[in-house]
Amino acid sequence: MSLHKLRLAAAVPLTISTFSSRLFLKPFPNTLTLGLFSRRLQQHKPLLVRAFSASATVQDIPATQTTVSSARPQWKASIDFKWIRDNKEAVEINIKNRNSNANLDVVLELYENMVNLQKEVERLREERNNVAKKMKGKLEPSERERLVEEGKSLKESLVSMEEDLVKLKDELQHVAQSIPNMTHPDVPVGGEDSSAIRKEVGCPREFHFQIKDHLQLGKDLDLIDFDSAAEVSGSKFFYLKNEAVLLEMALLNWTLSQVMKKGYTPLTTPEIVRSSIVEKCGFQPRGDNTQVYSIDGTDQCLIGTAEIPLGGIHMDSILLESALPLKYIAFSHCFRTEAGAAGAATKGLYRVHQFSKAEMFVICRPEDSEFFHHELIQIEEDLFTSLGLHFKTLDMATADLGAPAYRKFDIEAWMPGFGRFGEISSASNCTDYQSRRLGIRYRPSEPLQTGPKKGKANLPATKFVHTLNATACAVPRMMVCLLENNQQEDGSVVIPEPLRPFMGGIELIKPKLK
Amino acid sequence: MKGKLEPSERERLVEEGKSLKESLVSMEEDLVKLKDELQHVAQSIPNMTHPDVPVGGEDSSAIRKEVGCPREFHFQIKDHLQLGKDLDLIDFDSAAEVSGSKFFYLKNEAVLLEMALLNWTLSQVMKKGYTPLTTPEIVRSSIVEKCGFQPRGDNTQVYSIDGTDQCLIGTAEIPLGGIHMDSILLESALPLKYIAFSHCFRTEAGAAGAATKGLYRVHQFSKAEMFVICRPEDSEFFHHELIQIEEDLFTSLGLHFKTLDMATADLGAPAYRKFDIEAWMPGFGRFGEISSASNCTDYQSRRLGIRYRPSEPLQTGPKKGKANLPATKFVHTLNATACAVPRMMVCLLENNQQEDGSVVIPEPLRPFMGGIELIKPKLK
Repeated sequence: MSLHKLRLAAAVPLTISTFSSRLFLKPFPNTLTLGLFSRRLQQHKPLLVRAFSASATVQDIPATQTTVSSARPQWKASIDFKWIRDNKEAVEINIKNRNSNANLDVVLELYENMVNLQKEVERLREERNNVAKKMKGKLEPSERERLVEEGKSLKESLVSMEEDLVKLKDELQHVAQSIPNMTHPDVPVGGEDSSAIRKEVGCPREFHFQIKDHLQLGKDLDLIDFDSAAEVSGSKFFYLKNEAVLLEMALLNWTLSQVMKKGYTPLTTPEIVRSSIVEKCGFQPRGDNTQVYSIDGTDQCLIGTAEIPLGGIHMDSILLESALPLKYIAFSHCFRTEAGAAGAATKGLYRVHQFSKAEMFVICRPEDSEFFHHELIQIEEDLFTSLGLHFKTLDMATADLGAPAYRKFDIEAWMPGFGRFGEISSASNCTDYQSRRLGIRYRPSEPLQTGPKKGKANLPATKFVHTLNATACAVPRMMVCLLENNQQEDGSVVIPEPLRPFMGGIELIKPKLK
Repeated sequence: MKGKLEPSERERLVEEGKSLKESLVSMEEDLVKLKDELQHVAQSIPNMTHPDVPVGGEDSSAIRKEVGCPREFHFQIKDHLQLGKDLDLIDFDSAAEVSGSKFFYLKNEAVLLEMALLNWTLSQVMKKGYTPLTTPEIVRSSIVEKCGFQPRGDNTQVYSIDGTDQCLIGTAEIPLGGIHMDSILLESALPLKYIAFSHCFRTEAGAAGAATKGLYRVHQFSKAEMFVICRPEDSEFFHHELIQIEEDLFTSLGLHFKTLDMATADLGAPAYRKFDIEAWMPGFGRFGEISSASNCTDYQSRRLGIRYRPSEPLQTGPKKGKANLPATKFVHTLNATACAVPRMMVCLLENNQQEDGSVVIPEPLRPFMGGIELIKPKLK
């Protein structure tokens, strides 16, 4: 439905409402709203009632289409619509390459509509101002009366149009937020099999005896208890015991000290956060198959990674350029529902609901993010090499990037008990995807021009920072690797040298006498 | 009705049988309801109380021991919030935006201090024969109830997970109690002594006022908790062992504190006897609780179903079998705080501050912090 008709009918409220109702009738593909920001359905009703209260021509909206525009978004992403419009071919190709559900055509159409409606609103405002001006002068009574009428009519149209504009902007936000980040030109296009190997370190250890997997080692060495945890909490929960506790603490202590040497500031973070923060980082707290646990009776969730509270620290802020880069190493517990994950890829410590993790997070200028992406992956590779792991670093292909990542390097380590490689870390460059949602900007240092005039006009415009995140140590995955790779024929497990000082010097986890 | 009967006799018996059956079914239903009702009201009967426990409210608690004395400061002291800001150690403001009030980020040396406190505490307590554990922090709500807490209802301290029967733990005592639930342990396995490290989550609903400032009352914190499962005749002994461990730990860290024998009105329902330790917090100008050691006797074990079978058979004889096994008994459980990190931080920051704004790290913790002796103000 084109907006030309709207312009002609601007003064007639009836048509505006018809336009509004047409907006909600426009068929959106089901996949657009499902699994994205699936809002609670009970939030839809009040808005729809409000939308139609202005008009007599209330139309029945078929139930399936009421999922379209829901409650007002709690926050807005600063999406660069102009850029998207000017680069729509590239954006479309990117969406396809990533197997994203985003609907660019809808976004562009809504954007056009929004821009035109915005112009229309401005035009009407100007007309109204003119009328007001005219009414200040000397007028014939009939003329005055006519102007009063005109003024009233313009005001009504404006109110109605401004309401529509708000709704359009909300709708635009809603559909545009699902457009994934652009992709680094070197990233391979395709699915899982297309990911490129950047580096391979070590080789699989040759065993001359029957090896055990980490679950068996965990039982035999009295290190891991899944059975009691299943009773107390449910499946995919566990207790660590004895040397495994010391090993977890050694891993985290050692990792923290290594990464701090590279100038990263240590932090611990809240593990309960407002759900809006989760969304702004690019995760979906609600809806089927969400990875996120929600707290009953609040708008709070449990974090699945420290990336979330780290992104939140500087939200809605303007940083000084001289403060950048900000580099953090944060330790937290992480909670994930793992809904939808099943099968062999969930055995033992490989997939659990709760785990300890040390996460690196960088906030920097756009021109520096590529450099820091390489710094982060180098730190990870150094850590895992020091621990004696056999691993490969992958440049993840387009279909395997999450929406926020411009480029993502995953490290997969050899897990002999599984007989395959398993992911132990992930390093993403999110460029400005998260910062546009979290509202993290910086002000460049150099003023654009020097001169006698001081003041806001001389301050350079703020820009969005780039954010990056990378796993320094995901404890359960590391334990799988260390237990399975370092086992010996007598059933003991060798502790990697770098960790020994952090474990009171223990060199070996030995079978316990019974 | 199995014998030989006249038809009329048989018919009479059939009628009698039917009528009895109906009465039984109805009565059995009533019995189930009665039992449920009985459970419901009886569960709220608190544990009995040790004869030496003072009767009365908060003011009646008895001081068992006092260690150290308040440090004399010759300069204007800061509270831990101010120290946290000045030394860039604690961030409440960002956390308020991200999560809400009573949440915080630890930064820089405070992170190292937390890790040092937990590492050192773990190593000290392990020396006393306690087995280290980490625990789930999400548990079924029934476990929370069996330990004597109330997950639902107004002013509950417990966070519940949406769409499940699960809750977040407020203390590792809960998943520790759950490990051996519905079990019969061998007497030779006792005592079981655990030192567990976990994050703890509390709604702190209903807590307000000055007693909530800064790190003193927060929604999420790290804690090392001791838990003992033993024979009934040994629980008093272990209660004293636990309080001794706590007192040794806090003495080593140079704290000034007093150990209180909590009065009857201040015991939680599960506790037969409870020793709290309150340490001097100069920033608050008063003592604040840093640990609690409870002997719950069989209150929790009767709910969690933790029993043990005594070793000695009651009689020896040719007949083997279940008849000769001694009857199982309920174990006693105890729990005690080894280290509640935020409360310890309040104490250490406020007590160890110096005039130049730095904070001295207690000697035992330095090796666990890469040798750092001092938290110094940072150059800006």
